[in-house]
Amino acid sequence: MANLKEIKRKIGSVKNTQKTTNAMKLVSSAKLKRTEELAKKSRVYAAKLTELINEIAQKMQQSHADGIDNVYFKDVPNPKKVDIIFITADKGLCGGFNVQTIKRTNQLIADYKAQDVKVCLRAVGRKGIDYFKFNNVELGNEIIGLSAAPDFKQASEFISEVAEAYVNGETDKIILVHNGYVNMITQEIREDQILPVDTSKLELNAVSTSELEVEPDDDDTLLAALVKRYVEYTMYYSLIDSLAAEHAARMQAMDAATTNAKEMVKELTVKYNKARQEAITTELIEIISGMESMK
Amino acid sequence: MELMKLEIVTPDGVIFDAEVKQVTLPGSEGEFGVLPSHATLVSLLDTGVIVIEKSDSSEVAVAINSGYVKVEEEKTTCIVDGAVALSGEDSDLAKALEAAKELLKSAESSKVAIASAVSKVEHMGKSL
Repeated sequence: MANLKEIKRKIGSVKNTQKTTNAMKLVSSAKLKRTEELAKKSRVYAAKLTELINEIAQKMQQSHADGIDNVYFKDVPNPKKVDIIFITADKGLCGGFNVQTIKRTNQLIADYKAQDVKVCLRAVGRKGIDYFKFNNVELGNEIIGLSAAPDFKQASEFISEVAEAYVNGETDKIILVHNGYVNMITQEIREDQILPVDTSKLELNAVSTSELEVEPDDDDTLLAALVKRYVEYTMYYSLIDSLAAEHAARMQAMDAATTNAKEMVKELTVKYNKARQEAITTELIEIISGMESMK
Repeated sequence: MELMKLEIVTPDGVIFDAEVKQVTLPGSEGEFGVLPSHATLVSLLDTGVIVIEKSDSSEVAVAINSGYVKVEEEKTTCIVDGAVALSGEDSDLAKALEAAKELLKSAESSKVAIASAVSKVEHMGKSL
């Protein structure tokens, strides 16, 4: 009899879990919609900004025969020190979302270490911080709360600090790793080189810009300001992208959990019914054999 | 009168997109006005107020903290970090004014630029 009761309790608890995971799935899908909207809106800004950088960079390239001579564009062939910024979620329960980012970061670290390059890690998101702290890896920055609620000002403050280290020559390269959103069921690890600006991504020599007037009349100042904004923006956008991916991943994980719970309830119910049937049969046999012995 | 397209884009999306008669911008080298068919120009924008004269001659003010503008003959695009629009049709003008002042005060630029922008916003608020 104790067995019956136990199964019944188990069914109840699995049902409860199912309710929780289902609710979490609904919450994530609502949040995903909002984040997607945000990403869509801010993509316009990104497009305009990139266009402008393109034009200024082109203008500079046309006026300087030996390419763009600017601190943000100098490509160091053998970097000595690399900063890796990586974005993870603050919370778990989202499948392999965080693990994938951490894996890629670890791989990058190993790659650079093999080339004798010093690596400085800068972490955004509690899960990544916890992981590297547990493994006794030193982190340059630890930011919690930003990946759950991207804020342009906070993001730009953080990245400005990193960019400053780059301008001062403390680091030769800045790389940003995050898990990006592709669609509802796919996430993709994205690895962006933030500084120096990846000139291969810019479409140089596309349009003639000789007519372009610039104010203040100093290409360098303008370009520096633009690049700074571009970098800040890339950071912000990556945060939004990562958040969207996080919600999508959580939605998927919770959906799978709900399905699993449903299956488990089904199995347990069968088991419960069987046990009950068994108990009844035993009781009947007892009664009948008792009656038989009375005769 | 001739019209040109004006777009104001922030990281949170497009906040203004319409045909306008004229726009006055707070450039880093000083305030300047842009009329249709202006020569191609790229400029940094300082903390200040963008004043837009719409096609029906009504005025809209947009407080910004910093950004860039790209002027082409038929189109002007402002790429700004943060912006708050103030217009006569807005029912929550007082609230928008407060938000605009907040934005200006938090900007990282010279006190003179901030003070002049704030006073301009207050003035605009009265006239709207």
